[in-house]
Amino acid sequence: MTDEIAPMLRSAKGKRPSFYETPGLDQMMSMIMVLAGEVSVLADQVDLMQRVAAEKGLDLAGGMKTITLDQDALEAREARRQAMLDRLFYLMRKEAAEAEAQETSEGYSQVIADIAKG
Amino acid sequence: MLNTFQQADHGVLPEATPEEAARQEFVKSLKHFIQQGILPGLGPVYRTRAAKRFEKEAGRAPADRHDIRKAMVPDTYFQHYAAVNRISQELLWDSVIDSIDREGDALIERTTAATAANAGELRIAEGFEVPRYVSSLDIHCMPGGYVGRPGHDDLRLGALYDRGVFLYAMGYTGPDNDDMGRSVCHYIKARLKGFSPKRILDLGCTVGHSTLPYKELFPEAEVWGVDVGGPMVRFAHARAGAMGLDVNFAQMNAEKVDFPDGHFDLVVSHILLHETSGKAMPQIFRECHRLLAPGGYMIHADLPPFDLMDPFTQFILDNETYYNNEPFWGAMRELDQVKLARDAGFPAETIRFDTAPMAVMMFAQSEAAGYSAEASESVAERDFVAGEFAPGGGWEVLIAQKQD
Repeated sequence: MTDEIAPMLRSAKGKRPSFYETPGLDQMMSMIMVLAGEVSVLADQVDLMQRVAAEKGLDLAGGMKTITLDQDALEAREARRQAMLDRLFYLMRKEAAEAEAQETSEGYSQVIADIAKG
Repeated sequence: MLNTFQQADHGVLPEATPEEAARQEFVKSLKHFIQQGILPGLGPVYRTRAAKRFEKEAGRAPADRHDIRKAMVPDTYFQHYAAVNRISQELLWDSVIDSIDREGDALIERTTAATAANAGELRIAEGFEVPRYVSSLDIHCMPGGYVGRPGHDDLRLGALYDRGVFLYAMGYTGPDNDDMGRSVCHYIKARLKGFSPKRILDLGCTVGHSTLPYKELFPEAEVWGVDVGGPMVRFAHARAGAMGLDVNFAQMNAEKVDFPDGHFDLVVSHILLHETSGKAMPQIFRECHRLLAPGGYMIHADLPPFDLMDPFTQFILDNETYYNNEPFWGAMRELDQVKLARDAGFPAETIRFDTAPMAVMMFAQSEAAGYSAEASESVAERDFVAGEFAPGGGWEVLIAQKQD
C-alpha cells in the first residue's frame, strides 16, 4: 500500500460487551477462533495447490494417497508432531517442573523480599 | 445444506488474494455454523436449565424477553454462542479490511473510474449533519461505520460494506446483495398491478444494493438512492456505474429529504428503519407522505414487530441490540408501525403488513456461482427461525398508499 492514504480503521465505535465472567476468557475465545480460521485457510491453500497442480497435469492429490512414507519421513513427521504438542502444552510442562522444584508464589515473593535486602 | 453462495464481482469489489478469500470464506462458514449448529441448542438450554435457575432465584418464571436475557446471560452455552457470534462479526470486517488495505490506491482509482460510467447524479452535501443514531455507534460493528471519521471517510468504507454484507448475509441476498430490493420490485409487479412508478426514491440506500433492481425492473423510471453516509453513496454511484446502470445518489437524511412535495410516486426503504430512532422513525413516515404524489406508495422492508412473537424469540432477536451495535433494533420492534403510518397521513385502509417472497430461486435459475438449486431452495423454503439471517421465504413489508 502507498503512503498517501490512511489505512482503514480496525476498531468499531461502541463499548464491546464481555461474555464471560472469567477475565481474559473473551480474548482467549477470540484467539481460538482466529486460529481456527488460520487452520481453515491452510486447508484451503493445500486444496488450492492440489487443484492448480492437477490443472498442470500433476496429480498431487492422487500421489498423496499412494505414496509410501519411508523411515526418514516417518521420523520427521512424528518429531514435528511431538514438537508441536510440546509447544501446545508448554504451560503444563512448566507446572510439572514447578511441582518438581516445589516452586510456589510464596517462595517467589520471598525471593523478591530477600533480594531487596541484599 | 452446503452454502456455497459466491458474490458476483462487479468490478469495484475489493480484490482478495487466495489467502484473504479463504479467511473471508471461513467467516461465512463460521456464521453458517453458528446459526445451524449452535443456535438450535439455545432453546433446550433455556428450557431445561436457564429458566429453572431463574425461577429458583427469582421465585417466579421468566415473564418477558428481559427476564429470559437475565436467565441466559450467566449460562456457559449462551456465553459461547454470543461470544463466537460477536467474534465472527469482528473477523468478518477484519478479513475484508486486509484486502482493502493491501489494494490501497488501486481500489480508489478503480472505483473513481467506475463512477464516470454512471450518467446519474451524485450529490454530496456540504457540512452535512449526521444524525446521532448513526454517529454514536458503528452499526454492525463495522469499523468507521457508514460515515467514517475525519481522515477515514473515503469511499473504501462502501467497498468494505459491500463485501462485508455479503458475508454477513452468507449470500442469502444473492450474488449482488440485492434480494430485498428485487423481492419488493417483484411484489410491486405482482401485487400492485398496473402501478408503474416514474420516480422512485430509496431511503437509507447505503451502497445501492436494493436500489439498483428498481432501475433494472423499471428501466424508464428516475431512481434516487439517499443515505446519510457520504462514503456509502459515493461507492453506490460507482458501483451502479460498474454494473451499467444510471442511478442517482445523494447524501441526504431520510427525515428531511431535499426534494419537493409530491416528487415521487414510490418511496421505499430496506432495513433502514431499525437503524434510526424513536424520534426519527415517525418523522421518516411523515416525510414519505410529503414526498409522495397522490396515489403513490410507501413500502418499508424491515423487521416485523415483536407483538406476534413469543418472548424467547424476542430474546434471540434482541441479541443484535446488545451485541451488534444495533441500538434501535429492539425498541423499533415495539413500535406500532401501522399507527405511525396512519399518523403520517396515510388512509388506514391502505396500510398493511405483507410478505414479499425472496427472489433467491432466481439466482439459482441464472446459474450464479455457488447458487445451487438445492441451497437456494432451502433458503427460499425454510421457516422463520429467530437468530438466523433473514426470515424464511420472504421479507416483511409495510405498505401504505397516499390518498389519490
